[in-house]
Amino acid sequence: MYKICKGSMKLILVLILIIALLGTACSKTAQNDEQIEKPTSMVIKDHLGREIEIDKPVETIVSGYYITTSLLIALGLKDNIVGLESKPEMRPIYSLAAPELLDLPSVGTLKEFNIEATVALNPDLIIVSSRLKDSVETMEKLGFKVIAVNPEDEQLLNETILMVGKATNRTEVAEKLIEYNNNKANMIKDLVKDKERKDVYLGGNSNFLLTASSKMYQNSLIELAGGRNVAEDIDDTYWAEISYEQLIIYNPDIIVGVPSTTYTKEDVLTDSRLVSLDAVKNKDVYFMPANLENWDSPIPSGILGSLWMTSVLHEDVYSFDEFKEDAFEFYKEFYNIEIDKDELSK
Amino acid sequence: MIKKSSNNNTYVQIYIGLLVMVISLIISISIGRYPISIKEIAKIVLGKEVSELTQRVFLTLRLPRTLMALLAGAGLSISGSVYQTIFKNPLATPDIIGISSGANLGAAVAIGLLSGRPITVAILAFIGGLLAVFGALGLTRITKNIGVTTFILAGIVIGSISQGLIMLIKFTADPERQLASIEYWSMGSLASVTDSKLLSILPFFLLGIMGLYLLRWKINILSLSDQEGSSLGIRVNRIRISVIISATLVVASVVSVTGLISFIGLIGPHIARIITKKNDFNTAILGGISGAIIIIIADTLARSLSSSEIPISILTTFIGAPFLAYLMRKIR
Repeated sequence: MYKICKGSMKLILVLILIIALLGTACSKTAQNDEQIEKPTSMVIKDHLGREIEIDKPVETIVSGYYITTSLLIALGLKDNIVGLESKPEMRPIYSLAAPELLDLPSVGTLKEFNIEATVALNPDLIIVSSRLKDSVETMEKLGFKVIAVNPEDEQLLNETILMVGKATNRTEVAEKLIEYNNNKANMIKDLVKDKERKDVYLGGNSNFLLTASSKMYQNSLIELAGGRNVAEDIDDTYWAEISYEQLIIYNPDIIVGVPSTTYTKEDVLTDSRLVSLDAVKNKDVYFMPANLENWDSPIPSGILGSLWMTSVLHEDVYSFDEFKEDAFEFYKEFYNIEIDKDELSK
Repeated sequence: MIKKSSNNNTYVQIYIGLLVMVISLIISISIGRYPISIKEIAKIVLGKEVSELTQRVFLTLRLPRTLMALLAGAGLSISGSVYQTIFKNPLATPDIIGISSGANLGAAVAIGLLSGRPITVAILAFIGGLLAVFGALGLTRITKNIGVTTFILAGIVIGSISQGLIMLIKFTADPERQLASIEYWSMGSLASVTDSKLLSILPFFLLGIMGLYLLRWKINILSLSDQEGSSLGIRVNRIRISVIISATLVVASVVSVTGLISFIGLIGPHIARIITKKNDFNTAILGGISGAIIIIIADTLARSLSSSEIPISILTTFIGAPFLAYLMRKIR
């Protein structure tokens, strides 16, 4: 009995010792927190409602979100990025506009973010998605400046662009980008205001029967371009699955596939279950190109998605060649690259 | 005489186990994406000067995470061992009485229906685990024949109800965010462990371990038949419930922070039994040490194999399933 007690007690003792060690060590850090006041500082409010004080010029940045990484390139800050999200090779725009990013350390994904990898780079600023709330709090506790963004729609995207621009002292470029987007959006509105709205079915990337519901960014993209989302009656905030029968009832004028789908235009045109659709009969099936960025999402170049859609829906007022020209100009202006216009498809 | 020497053997085995555990702990603590050398760790422990960031990363992330791996492995294995003994079933795991599904349901509710804040997820997972077990214990009262099978059946009922509700939440969840989070939670990860999380679950964990420690003699008697237990003057049912509640506290406090970690409650105890060839509380402790070593190694791999974190259950399953096959081989 005594011996067994002794054995187990030792285990407990070891545990208690470890806890005590942790306790004393923790109290030490608290005393070391000293902040030096700098005269030039600004406060930024991020999408988690937190106020972040930027008190010195931001030289090194970790971006854990592809949208902000692309934004940093657009703001001319690609040389300041020291770490970014996993799988950068999935984003063609990086290899085109900032191939050096592909060799930088990765800090994980939205699902599994690596805090240690991020702080090991000791960046002046960390930009992540607001979904990583927990990690944001931890990194802040470690003494880092963290901005959490949630570019879910046009408004939030513009806020994100301004927020990041302000924090990195690139407000002018940020405003120019927003202005460009607004001008193009107004141009589209003018072009399509007298046009008849066409019924559009938007197929999701993993499954043709997944479609954008009414509260999604993609829905507003279709509407801006002078279309009507046939699935606008689905009152949801994410991709909804429908049936073939439902699609036949919708009978869209035009079928559009988002970038990087798992199915091809031929699959849709040759699907025997879809032959009765007007869009299939008239071969009005188009796929958004995936060779630059996914323009169906709220990303800095997202306006190109609306422009592309406009050229598909209303070619008579905005031709596909005009779209190619605009896309070329956009990337020349903000990403400093000359894209191959012939690679843009529809 | 024979008994004594075999007891001594167990102690030697426990000391060796502790040594291996400490070594793996030291190795694990110095591996990670943020470079911290063993030298720097020694300096931090001795209170000498190191860079402030290094010290903070070590104390808020690395050390709590490694200790959590230790607690998770030890807690899940010891509880697994206790469940296997009192349910007289070598394949019993914490899920047998519904705790994992209950905790999973709690987490799913927090992610799918509430804010999904980590603290909410942890609290609801903890409460979910406890409620499931109390629900199962309550269910056993509807029958007059309270035996081991009653508990297992009650666990199955509660587990199934939880699974059904989880499916319902998953069905209505946003697949991009909530569904992914629910799935990830059920794969377990120590990536988000910080000092404050570790300290907040520690009291519950220690309370449960203390309970099991105090009940250690009676746990073995529960492995006999209920009649034998009663004839030894033990109030079988009351003790069984106290043991279940203690083990539940341990498991719930661990999974509320880490999410579900598969297989560890099975591998740890079995490794110890193969080593000691016994099934007493010392073997359960050795099982706890084995479990701790496995989780420490698995978590070190989880954070260093690739640039993102790998859910820990993927690794423990790849260790656990071949091990089960090995156990199968031994059954003739």
